[in-house]
Formats: sequence, structure tokens, C-alpha cells
Amino acid sequence: MDDLYKELILEHYQSPNHRGKLMGGVEAGEVNMSCGDSLKIFAKIDGGKIIDAKFEGGGCAISMAAVDMLLDKVIGMKLVDVKKMSGSEIEKMMGVELTPSRKKCAYLGLEVLKKL
Amino acid sequence: MKSYKKLFPIFKKNPILHYLDSGATALKPQMVLDKMMDYYTNYSSNIHRGLYPISEKATGEYEAVRAKVARFIGAKSEKEIIFTSGTTDSINMVARGLGLTKDDEVVVEVEAHHSNFVPWQQLATIRNYAVPTGRQELGIRNSTKVLAITQVSNVLGEIKDIKNIIKTAREINPNIIVVVDGAQAVPHIPVNVVELDCDFYCFSGHKMYGPTGVGVLYGKANRLAEMNAVRFGGGMIKTVDFDNTTWADVPEKFEAGTPPIGEVIGLGAAIDFINKIGLKNIMEHEKELVDYLFNKLSEIKWIEVLGSAKQTNNRIGVISMFSNDKRVGTSNDIADILGRKFNVAVRAGHHCAMPLHTKFGIETGTVRASLGIYNDKNDIDELVKGLQEVWMTFIKN
Repeated sequence: MDDLYKELILEHYQSPNHRGKLMGGVEAGEVNMSCGDSLKIFAKIDGGKIIDAKFEGGGCAISMAAVDMLLDKVIGMKLVDVKKMSGSEIEKMMGVELTPSRKKCAYLGLEVLKKL
Repeated sequence: MKSYKKLFPIFKKNPILHYLDSGATALKPQMVLDKMMDYYTNYSSNIHRGLYPISEKATGEYEAVRAKVARFIGAKSEKEIIFTSGTTDSINMVARGLGLTKDDEVVVEVEAHHSNFVPWQQLATIRNYAVPTGRQELGIRNSTKVLAITQVSNVLGEIKDIKNIIKTAREINPNIIVVVDGAQAVPHIPVNVVELDCDFYCFSGHKMYGPTGVGVLYGKANRLAEMNAVRFGGGMIKTVDFDNTTWADVPEKFEAGTPPIGEVIGLGAAIDFINKIGLKNIMEHEKELVDYLFNKLSEIKWIEVLGSAKQTNNRIGVISMFSNDKRVGTSNDIADILGRKFNVAVRAGHHCAMPLHTKFGIETGTVRASLGIYNDKNDIDELVKGLQEVWMTFIKN
């Protein structure tokens, strides 16, 4: 099996839990144009807590799996705590080590969450 | 099939490197490195007005490359050759030097590299970015000031009949200024700027087996005479007093400051290298590999090749492909697996041609394999093996 494209990552890429749109909440987006990734995250926030979140967009398996896994993790968390998260936590969450060029892919979701 | 790998020292350190990224930059043969090392080791000095032997030697070598470049692209005189830092720099220099404003119209192409698109977009008003094939599609009017075209697309690999396009453009508007991006053409096919009848022709050293940091701007003598200098400083002046400066003659007028001397000398060696192998042999070698690659790719059902210039004689070895199966990742994932597991070097993304990818509806980019003289069938086999592994990773995992 590939060290990077592990089953868990492929699962989140091919059958994501949080794809879709949310109305009446907040949203933020970002594009990583050199490679063609684009991402929009919708979130409902109540009392400073993310109570629901969804994402739309297209991109590589790493960026899309990362955002789906990230939303699994942050729903229920306080937004201020999410904004304190670092890139290394993303790698830990995904259970893989990333090369510098793939870090950009994996961190896209967190970057967008920080804009909320 | 002849192997040229031994001429490229990089393969000593990286014997299993399958380098399919020559469209981004070509590898450097030993003779180019030797020539540059000779300059830096034995006669490193500034050119022009150094009245001592090594400077005279450096000036002689530098200016000899100007004449060599002129012969290589069929220019009438070496005075029509300006050294720049690369194709992007050359195009920017023309765009600025022509003094364009938003009142000026420039026709650009959808398949243009961003370097032959953005400078025009920023300085003038662009229109029609259709791929020009016929008179109507060219979109040129009497009032069009510039036609900016690409001889070989860095994504599609198709060799366009720009001679005919330029002829048609001049019939519509005799005053039009034609600027050609030849970055992907010069390393692969013979170019003659007089036959093409272009006003400007731009290319880079590093894509033609030469060093980075050097490029060429060819301009017709009368066009260069009208063009404004855009960079000011030493070397490009005739006289300077407190109120006024007069410019040196062309081409010095456009080469302010110390030029990339070692790189220009390396570019000369790159031209010698291409001439030594022979463009005819280069074309035959690449054609055999392109046919072999297309044959192999036709067996991989989930891979599609961008554009219509498939297995034809009218293309170079630049092939951009994408997965038609959504379960497979994007170009980034494919290139990652090829590189990490097979040491197959390809490029992923838009290849600096976003309008083209948007037109084809492939926003997540393509995987581009681009060939050079050092490639062999084994490189293609490894690419295909890697693609099969990509499929296994995403589908049969």
C-alpha cells in the first residue's frame, strides 16, 4: 500500500462526510491556483462553537481528504481553538508525513477555517 | 534507438531518474557546463572596455554568441539579437518598449503561456483569445497593434503553422507587430525568423539545454530602432550629462547593466550542442518516443490527452493528460505517485496556461510529460508503469 494514499485518506476523498452547502451560516474560501485546488467552507457557529460545517470545491485527494477529516475534527470545537491549530496537527490527524509541496495541499482546509 | 544519456552528467548521480519535464527546463549536457566553468574559472571578467586580455576574451566569447544565435534562428544580423534573462523577460521588454496603453489592442491566444498573456493584459486591451486557425478567427482588425502568438504550446505540444497565420495577419493589417513566443519551439524544431516574417521572437536558454538566467529577444532591425529602452543604467548609454542622456546603439541600448556573461557563453555551447546532435536527429528521436508513448497511452482507458494534436507529425514531445475517472485524484496526486515511487519527473497543474485549462473545463490541471533528447523508451515504460500504479492506488487499493 502507498505510504501517502492510505485507506483512510482515500475513503475521505472518495466518500466524504461533509460535502455540500450550508445556508444561513458563515463562509470562507481560498484557491490554490498553481495546482487547481479551490475550496469553500460553510459553517454554523453558536456561542463561539462550530456546530456544523460543510465544504465545496475541487482539488487533489490530499487537499480534499484533509478538509473532510478536518471538519470531522472541528465540529464541536470552539472557533478560537481551531484558529490556533498548526499544520503539524493536520499531518498527525492524517497519519502521514508530507513533502513540502504536499503540505500546501493538506493545509488548504485549515487556511480557510482560519478565515472564518 | 540511440541513447544520449551519457552526454548529461546528472544521470551519473541519478541513474534511475526518468526526466520527463523538459518543457519546464531541459537538463544540461557536459559541454555546456564545461564551457561555463571555463569562463568562471579561467577568464571571469566583465565585458566591454576591459583593456586586458581576459576581458577581451570574455567580450569576444560573449559577442560571438550573439552572432551564433543570429545564425541559429536565421536573423539577418547579430544586431537584431538582444540578450535578456529569459522568454518572460523578452516579452515584457517588448510589451513595455512598444509604449502600449489601454487604447492599444493586442490579440492574444487562449493557449498562450501566462508570460505571453499577462504582460499584454496589463499594458493594453486584449481581445479574442481564440486559437487562430482561419482569417475570421484571428480576430485582427485594422486597429490591432500587436498579435502575440505561440509557435508551440507548452501544454498541447502542437506545432502551429505560424508562418501562415502571420501572413494572414499582415494581409488584414500590414502594420501589425507580431510577437512570437518560441520557448517550446527552439529546442525541438528549426526556426527561421525571416521566413516566419515575425517582428519579434522570444526564447529561453534553459529550455534548450543551456543555463537558466539567459534568454533572447530577436527583433527586426526597424522595429528595434523604434522601440524604447525600458531598463536604464550602465552599458546602454552613449553620453550622459546632468540634463540629458543619449542611448547606445541597438542592441546595447537594451542591455543595461552587467549581462549574464557566463550564461550567454553557456547558451552558445547549448547551440553548439543542438547543432552537433542535429535538429533533424532530435526531431526523429522525439517523434519515435511520442509515437511509442501514444501507443502505450491508448491502452490506458482512464487517461485522456488534452488537445487534438495527437499522433501526428505536427507536434513535439509535450503531452498533457488527465484522468477521466473521478475516483482517481487530480494531476497533483498522479504526479506525486509518479515522482515518489518511480522517480518519473513530470509536471502537474496548469503549466502557466490557466485560460486554456478553463476552456477545456479541467480546472484541477493536467499531468504533463515533456521529452528531451536524453529520453528513451525505458523512461516511457516507467511512466506507464507509474500510471498503472496510480490506478491501483485509487481503485484497486
